[in-house]
Amino acid sequence: MNFNRRQFFKVALGLSALALTPKELKASPGKYATLIDITKCDRCEGEFMPLCVKACREVNKHRFPDPKKPIPPYWPRKTYEDWSDKREIIDTLSPYNWLFIQKVEIEGHTLFIPRRCMHCDSPPCVKGCPFGALSKQPEGNTVIDHNICFGGAKCRDVCPWHIPQRQAGVGIYLKLMPKLAGGGVMYKCDLCDARIKRGEEPACVVACRERLKDRAVYTFGKREEIFALAKNRASEEGLYIYGDRQNGGTSTLYLSSIPFEKIEAKLKETRARFGMPVKVVNRYMEEINPWGKAVLVAGALGIGAGLVGAFYSKKEEKEEKHGENQEIF
Amino acid sequence: MGKIKRYSKVILFEHWLIALSGIMLIFTGLGCLPLFKRYYITELPGLKWTADFYLLTKLHYIFAIFFTFGVFFHITYHLIRRDFGLLPRKGDFVNSIKAILASFGLTKHPPADKWLPEQRYAYVGIAGVTSILVITGILKVLKNLEWIVYPPKVESVVNLLHTIFGGLFILLFLVHLFFVLGVKANWPLLKAMFTGKVEEEYVRERHSLWLRKLKKRNNLDTRSKN
Repeated sequence: MNFNRRQFFKVALGLSALALTPKELKASPGKYATLIDITKCDRCEGEFMPLCVKACREVNKHRFPDPKKPIPPYWPRKTYEDWSDKREIIDTLSPYNWLFIQKVEIEGHTLFIPRRCMHCDSPPCVKGCPFGALSKQPEGNTVIDHNICFGGAKCRDVCPWHIPQRQAGVGIYLKLMPKLAGGGVMYKCDLCDARIKRGEEPACVVACRERLKDRAVYTFGKREEIFALAKNRASEEGLYIYGDRQNGGTSTLYLSSIPFEKIEAKLKETRARFGMPVKVVNRYMEEINPWGKAVLVAGALGIGAGLVGAFYSKKEEKEEKHGENQEIF
Repeated sequence: MGKIKRYSKVILFEHWLIALSGIMLIFTGLGCLPLFKRYYITELPGLKWTADFYLLTKLHYIFAIFFTFGVFFHITYHLIRRDFGLLPRKGDFVNSIKAILASFGLTKHPPADKWLPEQRYAYVGIAGVTSILVITGILKVLKNLEWIVYPPKVESVVNLLHTIFGGLFILLFLVHLFFVLGVKANWPLLKAMFTGKVEEEYVRERHSLWLRKLKKRNNLDTRSKN
């Protein structure tokens, strides 16, 4: 072994420096993005159900949960989450409604905000899912695999907007230990994954355009083009953008004539089920990942210390053999 | 009665570093599953913080620093020293059964080396599971750092494997605890994990092959000195 203490520290320091070099905290954006222009949405005035919501429900109805009853409660608790008798509800998110129009009254204005998954650039739901049921697609959308999902609802807890919705009485957990672990399956918008992979647009986008033509609320397209469009319109018309920076960036941009701080405050005041926080830190990036670098350094240091330790112990053994035997005393 | 050195300070350090950080990884890992809210753990006094998945994940990472260091140290140190006494040998399967029966006082102990045959199997089991946990853990760290972007299927498999092998790790840890705490014949080994030494009488009875080796070496050394 030709490895002295000084060399060991040199290697260790080098590896540490490499791992700790501040790499730009940049999320990996996908191919596409959606622009949602709140200034144009009127919740499809005159229609019972907004057309985007209707289209979303129609396109995804074959994937809606059909729970077996009676549904077992989440032992030792006596509760369970069941939306199966409330399938018709359209004014909030549920396992049967992956997009809704949120109504907000601010300073005499009525805003209608289409709400669904933001499709984060660095989605904490994907990082946190212990079963690998969530994945980020190259298109930029986040998808839940309903066949693997256990329904622990961690994705809903770590999501800054608490978007995913749970239905009990369905899913793989029923086949394992339904009494002890698992709570159903989580559901949310997947940006019409199958459609966008075929080169089509999400159903909500198409439905909106069919009604409003070139005044459509939604614009779907290549990420760079959508971002450029949003920035141009914001600067030209004095509009505010939401979604470009929140949680490290998302692929859903909102445009509004009213500052989002005011929208956030109003939603808080009315205790809305889904808020619109303006300051959203990506906690994986800020709080967890720096420790990830330390884990990598620790592995390298472990190897280095092992090399040094083995070298010294061999040397000691040699010396021991020349001296008194230490094994039996 | 003499005492025989069984574990060096390095071994004690390795064992307790991996054991203590491993226990904390089990706790924080179960919290990440998520199980704590459902089972009222987040409502216990002093454990309210376990409701925060981000905090649990951060702590999981912090304990992983110690665990990863321990595992990589262990592999490198013993590989270079060529300490392969804990790897299974010929005849270990039959001897394992005999030795486990002997632990419960049902038969006589088969003559054993420093490590018991069933310990060698246990080592391979826990080392294999730990390796997969460390590898998938590192892959998850790299993925979360976004230094590597996996295809969606790979990302799913890595996440799922880490969880499944975490479960196996807990299972093997419980088996380990049972054999250490629940089987009286192994208590001298538990004591040795603190002191580093075992009674000569214990070695004579249970590790006769090891004792023979030690004595042979002792004689050789004495002779070489003369």
